[in-house]
Amino acid sequence: MGISAVPGSGKTFVLSHLAADLIARGGLEPGQEVLIVTLVNSAVDNFSGRISTLISKQGLLPRIGYRVRTLHGLAHDIVRERPEKVGLEERFAIIDEREAELISKEAANAWLSANPNTLDEYLDPELDENKRDRVRRQQLPDLVYHLALAFIRSAKDHRLTPELLRYKLDAAPARLPLAEMGWAVYKDYQRAIAYRGAVDFDDLIRLALDLLERDSDFLERLQSRWPYILEDEAQDSSQTQEEILRLLAAGQGNWVRVGDPNQAIFETFTTANPQYLLDFIRQEADTRRELPDSGRCQPAIIAAANQLIDWVMQDHPEEAARNALTTPYIQPTPPGDPQPNPPDDPDGIRFIDRKYSPDEEIKAVVDSIERWLPEHPQETAAVLVPRNARGVEMINALKQRGIPTHELLSSTQSTRAAAGALGNLITYLGDPTSAAKLARVYEVWRRSWREETEKQDLLADIKKRIRGCSQVETFLAPRPDRDWLSEISEGLPEEVLSELEEFRNHVIHWQGTTRLPIDQMILTLSQDLFTEPADLALAHKLALVLRKAAEDHPDWRLPELTGELGSIARNQRRFIGFSEDDSGFNPDTYKGKMVVTTMHKAKGLEWDRVYLMSVNNYDFPSNQTFDTYISEKWFIRGNLNLETEALAQLEATHSTGEYDWYEEGVATQQARLDYVKERLRLFYVGITRARRELIVTWNTGRQGNAGASLPFAALTGKQE
Amino acid sequence: MNQVNLTQRQREVIEAGADSRIFLSGQAGCGKTTVGLERMLYLLEQGIPANSLLVLSPQRTLAAPYFDASTSPRAGPGGQVSILTVGGLAQRTVDLFWPLAAETAGFTHPDQPPVFLTLETAQYYMAHLVRPLLEEGFFESITIDRNRLYSQIIDNLNKSAVIGFPHTEIGDRLNSAWLGDPGQRRIYQDAQESASRFRAYCLEHNLLDFSLQLEVFLDILWPDPVVREYLTQIYQYLIYDNVEEDIPRAHDLLRDWLPEFKAALLIYDTGGGYRKFLGADPETGQALSQLCDQQIELDDSFAASQGIANLANNLRSVISPSGGSLYREKVPVGVLSFPHETRFYPQMLDWVAEQTRSLVSEAQIPPGEIVILAPYLSDSLRFSIMERLQARGIPVRSHRPSRSLRDEPASQALLTLAALAHPGWHMRPNTYDVTQALLLALDGMDLVRAKLLTEIVYRSRELTLAPFEQINPDMQERITFLHGNHYTQLRSWILEFQAGPPLPLDHFLRKMFGEVLSQPGFGFHHDFDAVRVAASLIESIRKFRLAMEPAQPSQGGLEFDLGSEYISMLQDGVISAQYLEAWRTGTDEAVLVAPAYTFLMMNRPVTAQFWLDPGSSGWVERLSQPLTQPYVLSRGWPDAQLWTDAHEVETNQENLARLASGLLYRCRERLFLGLADLGESGFEQRGALLQAFQQVLQESSK
Repeated sequence: MGISAVPGSGKTFVLSHLAADLIARGGLEPGQEVLIVTLVNSAVDNFSGRISTLISKQGLLPRIGYRVRTLHGLAHDIVRERPEKVGLEERFAIIDEREAELISKEAANAWLSANPNTLDEYLDPELDENKRDRVRRQQLPDLVYHLALAFIRSAKDHRLTPELLRYKLDAAPARLPLAEMGWAVYKDYQRAIAYRGAVDFDDLIRLALDLLERDSDFLERLQSRWPYILEDEAQDSSQTQEEILRLLAAGQGNWVRVGDPNQAIFETFTTANPQYLLDFIRQEADTRRELPDSGRCQPAIIAAANQLIDWVMQDHPEEAARNALTTPYIQPTPPGDPQPNPPDDPDGIRFIDRKYSPDEEIKAVVDSIERWLPEHPQETAAVLVPRNARGVEMINALKQRGIPTHELLSSTQSTRAAAGALGNLITYLGDPTSAAKLARVYEVWRRSWREETEKQDLLADIKKRIRGCSQVETFLAPRPDRDWLSEISEGLPEEVLSELEEFRNHVIHWQGTTRLPIDQMILTLSQDLFTEPADLALAHKLALVLRKAAEDHPDWRLPELTGELGSIARNQRRFIGFSEDDSGFNPDTYKGKMVVTTMHKAKGLEWDRVYLMSVNNYDFPSNQTFDTYISEKWFIRGNLNLETEALAQLEATHSTGEYDWYEEGVATQQARLDYVKERLRLFYVGITRARRELIVTWNTGRQGNAGASLPFAALTGKQE
Repeated sequence: MNQVNLTQRQREVIEAGADSRIFLSGQAGCGKTTVGLERMLYLLEQGIPANSLLVLSPQRTLAAPYFDASTSPRAGPGGQVSILTVGGLAQRTVDLFWPLAAETAGFTHPDQPPVFLTLETAQYYMAHLVRPLLEEGFFESITIDRNRLYSQIIDNLNKSAVIGFPHTEIGDRLNSAWLGDPGQRRIYQDAQESASRFRAYCLEHNLLDFSLQLEVFLDILWPDPVVREYLTQIYQYLIYDNVEEDIPRAHDLLRDWLPEFKAALLIYDTGGGYRKFLGADPETGQALSQLCDQQIELDDSFAASQGIANLANNLRSVISPSGGSLYREKVPVGVLSFPHETRFYPQMLDWVAEQTRSLVSEAQIPPGEIVILAPYLSDSLRFSIMERLQARGIPVRSHRPSRSLRDEPASQALLTLAALAHPGWHMRPNTYDVTQALLLALDGMDLVRAKLLTEIVYRSRELTLAPFEQINPDMQERITFLHGNHYTQLRSWILEFQAGPPLPLDHFLRKMFGEVLSQPGFGFHHDFDAVRVAASLIESIRKFRLAMEPAQPSQGGLEFDLGSEYISMLQDGVISAQYLEAWRTGTDEAVLVAPAYTFLMMNRPVTAQFWLDPGSSGWVERLSQPLTQPYVLSRGWPDAQLWTDAHEVETNQENLARLASGLLYRCRERLFLGLADLGESGFEQRGALLQAFQQVLQESSK
């Protein structure tokens, strides 16, 4: 069954009810489960919680009878059942994205220093030797690294191992220099992670698919375990995801795919394509449904979104981009619906067609927020930007004006806080003579006091005193003749004295933990530092991971392991709900604050008032002669998008047709078109986040030569 | 031990005539081992010479009750009962009759003495041989930690020896059952090649790993009339417990040997077979019953209460379809408990600790009657649970059989000092390690002063320690003169040592320990734990040296190289230098925290059990080992049959059913399940054991 749904039509609601219903009706045999596959982690907990509540209401045991997974989580489940079949040992490690990035950076650098002039043929011939030299030193490392990341991903997506790729390259009829480079880095990268006894996230998916294809008994068992498969956000489904689910659903065929092709915004450099879902609905699904009713936005905003669909389908100047958006149009809910639309307000929607510089745009938006926010403490509001970096600029500007904000950018705050507290403490233990670090530990230990105004003076006083203790040992391990605390104790308020004594006792205990292996040290410290179950669970996980790191690097001691701590913490979130934020972001909890996030992250969320920024032709190009593209570098000849060209060369190694052999530049053109289409959908997603008010602005870009994007102009009626 | 509670049937076996051959079988908890122990004591009391009695057991831990009983007053004075595994018997015999075997077995230097390898030293040699092959591209297609790679190759050799097929067939056997990625087939050739090279190397250097010891004993020595005469003369009485957990070749040996004993008692657990993945074969063991005059079965249960027994039967029938549907019996309320709202792992651990506390202080159950079991016991888990129990004043001990010396601060400190005393090794300990070493070596030292001292006196580039007198007076005062004096003593000792002749590392450590570190003013003076660790370290180094020396050309200064080699192998984890903790002391007074299988191998029932993480797949699935396969490399596996998913599932179900009921037969009253939504690593847990419990609960609520 295929369901095509519009923004705000309640997909999650429908799917969770469907799952709960299947479980409650007793359609499952012992050991069977409803499998729900979704796109991001935050949705996993969201689904899981909803279903659990629904089935608990019916008097059943919660959390049994269904399983909610991202594709990575599902692949992990599958591989974990039979690791040895794909050459993995029992407790294989999964390297996180950060470590994968580090490894490919190393591999890319190694390749560059061994082949400093190989890429010369791609440099702009206009550049003089000096400039070329500078490009080689300053630009190429980053370019090669990003290219390698995309190349490795894509190779894995196509299930090409380095050996297999080598074979294909050797058999290729012509030279493919970028693919050769990609292969060399890929080979190094793969060897490096194998040495760690690990796989990366993309390997997991590839291996899961291998397993299902090779072992029909195993597949059959999984098929009978999951008689119902519900797939959310199916428009962002990659080719491999579709293949995996198709295999799992084969036979009984209870596969429900829900998605909105107009919201496909995760396609760049993946094999994801909304066309798969469209094809599925059109050709394969035995049942088709549309969910066109949406109670989210007020009618004027719905009209703008529908107008965008119309303009794209009929009037986009690039004919090939006209299928970026498709019908159904969004329709307001009928009268009497439990989710009525907000009242119509044509003034609630504003396209500010002014030629702001980037700084002026920020200023204008901040001014507007400063006026609006205090008067609407009960409403939710967000600023949506196309890229993370722009979001950081916006956050800083808001903070400077003292406007309360909440950032929903890269990593979440609570994970950072817990790991940060541990990090500070361990940093001190690695450098125990430092009074400054000891004072910092004190702050961390008493961090719950930060919110309590009456404790502020004591906190500051103690901190200052510890900082001033130049010989830390006379405080922590006093001798009869050298005892800092008794020296200063005269005239000291009792409160301060006892606080210092209590802190000293803790520090002495913490120092004792340096004799423990790292995992035990973390666990012991976390008992003192944390009370929240989520923090303690994260600490337990950190202990396991750091223990592994210590085993992999026998020469590492506290200082090295401390460095590892923060980065590990950030990446443990891929599968796990270790923070409140992971259980689904709820905009309603941030009333009176300005949420800043990217348009990508805003997917699935809604606010009363939304600012869309930077809607210029650089971030939202239309494949016109005046457009420029972020992926086409100034130092590369002929506006080539080298990353795309590399992927096209990779593609060529396993193409079979006589006429689809690699031709330079074709991929760059195609990438432009894909980017244009994805950006149109991103704009559509941005617009449909707003319930009542929408404010859209653009800026002239860093070079000062960008203009309003064409879709922006179309919606303001400025286009001819 | 008292005889009051023995049944008539038990008594008959114990007091059977001195010419009887009995095969005794029954479920766990029916009193079989009690019979074995009483039989041993009875025979001794009848005046049979202790050294004519052989007690065989598949694993040393299983024989623990026999060790204890053989030293009890009832065993009387006189000689020693031989309590051995077949492997131990093999090593003893090979050592004794080496000249008879060496040449036939193909050793290059039969005139030289044999060197027996431990698992560690075998691993060391394997690493030595395989490392260059890895550079050539061996094993490229698998993802595996190197040390586990080495141990799996050794495991294959052992499998060939315990099952009894030529080691040259390992690769072919594995290959012919392989159904996965065809690209992986090459690794079996690689594994075969590595095993063959290892064997050749052993023959060339008189090294005997476990597999070679067993093969030499069984294939060459046992058939030799001289050896056979010797063994049958010495051992005239046999008690063989846990026959089901032993290897096929041990059963073969017994098949041959049994008629020669005057009297024999074979004990067989009908629900056992927990060591199958180590090569145990209950079927070949069961076959031995035909060679006995009497087959006796015990069917009482002295352990499990009716409620627990019902739970065991229900679980068994749910887990394993062939387990029969006979049992759908009521499980009384209170037999099975679990928490209702525990999302995170540490919350579950809190619950476990709290329940344990209430068992001990409210239900008055002695701590020794409680076990906390997990499928795997990570160090973090072990530490977390033990800490929680200690905080509640409950005595606790862990039985993870061993831990690595690498993790012990005391052994790290000793090795850091050793590196400082041997600048020729060019090992440069970092400041952090030197600080920790001084912290531990100097009595009463604190972390801050140890760091100050290290930063001032330690020159890592020259690998020297500067004299205390050269420090400026202010700093001397900060560090204190007391510590200064001790530091000076330690430093002088090192300088003196460097001026003298070189010593092997173990001798060096013993000397440093005896002359400095154990003296008043030094850290090991009071710290008995550290002393124990030091002793284990020295012993491990000594063993390593003895195993290494014969294979190396003896030249001057050889010991130095061995010392630094030992340290770097320890760092890399090739040698884990594990040592047995003193877990057998105080057995009765403390809560035991252990992996589930380890508890099974301890062979004793308790009142209450906790099963942590019942959703973990670790309860169900065997360890995945890409290079070996315990079931394909077993005697019953048909040639060229493929190992399919159905086999895997069936084996997993059988193992789980066996494990669950095996544990419950060793549980008298209550079972607690440590449930958490997210497991230790933060993953959701939905394993088969959890599903089975769910089903049992649903059934019994109907």
